[in-house]
Amino acid sequence: MRILIVEDDPVLADGLTRSLRQSNYAVDCVNDGAEADHVLVGQNYDLVILDLGLPKVDGLEALRRLRRRGSRTPVLVLTARDTLDERVKGLDLGADDYLTKPFDLPELEARVRALIRRGQSGGGSLLSHGALALDTTGRRATLHGEPLDLSARELGVLEVLMLRSGRVVNKEQLAEQLYGWDEEVGANAIEVYVHRLRRKLEPAGVTIRTIRGLGYLLEKPAHE
Amino acid sequence: MNEARLHTAQPAAPAEAGSIAPDARGARARSGRTLRHQLLAWLALPLGVLWIISGVVDYDIAKRFVNLAYDRALLEAALDIGRQVKVVNDRIYVDLPDIALQMLQTREYGRLYYLVTGPKGEFITGEPDLPPPADLGTDRISYYDDEYRNHLIRVVTLRVPVEPGSGKGAVLIQVAERITLRTDFARQLMLGMMIPQALLIALAVLAVWYGVGRGLARLANLQREIASRSHRDLSALPEEQAPQEVRPLIRAMNGLLERLSQTIAAQQRFVADAAHQLRTPIAGIKTQTELALRQTQSAEARARLKQLQAATEQTTRLVNQLLSLARAEPGAGQAHATERLDLAKLARDATTEWVPRALARNIDLGFEGPANGARVEGEPFLLKEMLNNLLDNAVRYTQAGGQVTVRVIPDGGEVALSVEDNGPGIPEAERGRMFERFHRVLGTGVDGCGLGLAIVREIAQSHGGDATLSPGANGTGTVVRVTFPNAA
Repeated sequence: MRILIVEDDPVLADGLTRSLRQSNYAVDCVNDGAEADHVLVGQNYDLVILDLGLPKVDGLEALRRLRRRGSRTPVLVLTARDTLDERVKGLDLGADDYLTKPFDLPELEARVRALIRRGQSGGGSLLSHGALALDTTGRRATLHGEPLDLSARELGVLEVLMLRSGRVVNKEQLAEQLYGWDEEVGANAIEVYVHRLRRKLEPAGVTIRTIRGLGYLLEKPAHE
Repeated sequence: MNEARLHTAQPAAPAEAGSIAPDARGARARSGRTLRHQLLAWLALPLGVLWIISGVVDYDIAKRFVNLAYDRALLEAALDIGRQVKVVNDRIYVDLPDIALQMLQTREYGRLYYLVTGPKGEFITGEPDLPPPADLGTDRISYYDDEYRNHLIRVVTLRVPVEPGSGKGAVLIQVAERITLRTDFARQLMLGMMIPQALLIALAVLAVWYGVGRGLARLANLQREIASRSHRDLSALPEEQAPQEVRPLIRAMNGLLERLSQTIAAQQRFVADAAHQLRTPIAGIKTQTELALRQTQSAEARARLKQLQAATEQTTRLVNQLLSLARAEPGAGQAHATERLDLAKLARDATTEWVPRALARNIDLGFEGPANGARVEGEPFLLKEMLNNLLDNAVRYTQAGGQVTVRVIPDGGEVALSVEDNGPGIPEAERGRMFERFHRVLGTGVDGCGLGLAIVREIAQSHGGDATLSPGANGTGTVVRVTFPNAA
């Protein structure tokens, strides 16, 4: 896996390079937009981490040129600006993800992993969450490798929760997943599915929390 | 409600126009010089002086004409007597009928005194003690003033030849009357002129008083316009309604406002730029610290690195809050467009994003609000900043195991957003100062830079709302309540 870091701040560039090399990526680092542009013409990368405020050629311009050449290399934009305008502009120009400085290193690493995985397979079909695994194409869930007895709708609810593990999923999002746009679904029905899921998962230490007024959250496994 | 209104407790903020007024009134009372008083003084004083001068001149003119008229009447009397001078057998006598004598002596106003003396000074008729003329000239007619029976008198002398051409000399006729008659009349004439003049002056003063008041009323409108402004509104003052003379003043003030907002905007840009510039080096420090922590086994070094990490977190927060504040302050607001938005949705989304952080601290974070109908007019970006600051404060200052609830309540003309926690609460004495910049409650043991609530209030006020602080429902914890005008 080759990653190109385009960052003009030497301390940050060094930190990023070292941390990603520790994660066994092959990392190149350049520190201005013109050089980034030059390198990207000649070489293929699995991911570009691009700072926007660059000398010589602006990060957004480098991104525009990359996309104009037809490259689909995932780009993670780093920026010191956090206004909505910049964010929208960056995403419009073909950035795949966006991180505002200063960021947490684990957060950056998680985004890097996700972007590379997306670039590799166009969306993985196997979700895992501690001892819990869900095959989204085979529609099967396993706990410690043992098949779990889940109905199709329970599986649907679990899939959404696992996709957004550690974050809140509201009832509307669950309803959409279960019934599509047209059908109406009562909040009570969702509660029933979540209740059943809890009964089946809690013995294995998988917790679905109710967040007051907001929805549900699949708690991250302790070791992650 | 025992919520203290807190928006007055910011000493560093520019004084609001409304609070300037008492000082201005004080200054006016000290100097005692309103425009109206000055105009009146400048009008009334010269008019008064003119009036007095005019009185003196009037009196002088009146006296002259009164004298002329009275002298003529006096002469007529002398001539009447002269026509009756007869010579019979060389004896000169005056043939005055009794009725004529009575008329001379019993006139209602000032009887006449007369004396007729012969060519040699011999008494013929009249009042023998009437003083003779001091200067026995040869004029046929002459006038002089004298004193008679303790009164000032005016005397006319008339020489009538006994027998013209005979060389027998002339009879001297003196007719006198008291001078007070004339001065009384002259005084009446003068008053007759001066009283209407005084009335005229009084009318002019009244007219000016009223006119100036009318003119100043338009200034009063301007004053109300300025006084009712919020300190965020630095737009130009309306020029059209003001009197022509005041327009240069308004233009100058508008120039000042313009320069002021440019200065403020420049300062905000500076703060924003500085904050942005700081973000990259902080990102570098954070990354390197994290890396070092991963590579270090020594407990001592790890403890130091943890400290460094905490300090970096705090710096990050401060930089972000400085940026928020720079954006929320007046002047910067124009950069964002306002729109009608659903505050409940905005609050729900922001709360959702904070759930993982709250769970990491074992805090039960929840939301209560309507599905829709909490419409406010606002800038989504700023409102999100506000929510983030409210949530950050609540999650930061509430103990593990605590509870934080975000509520959105549409309430008639207002939409209220509140964030309640059951944390340690804020002592009543501190509440008033919590919205001040960099104010922190001591002894909380939590790192913070004290900008959160200042940002919240700044953003609330830029949306025509306000922020208040009160204890939680059962006396513990804190409720920050932000109200917005309902845009439903």
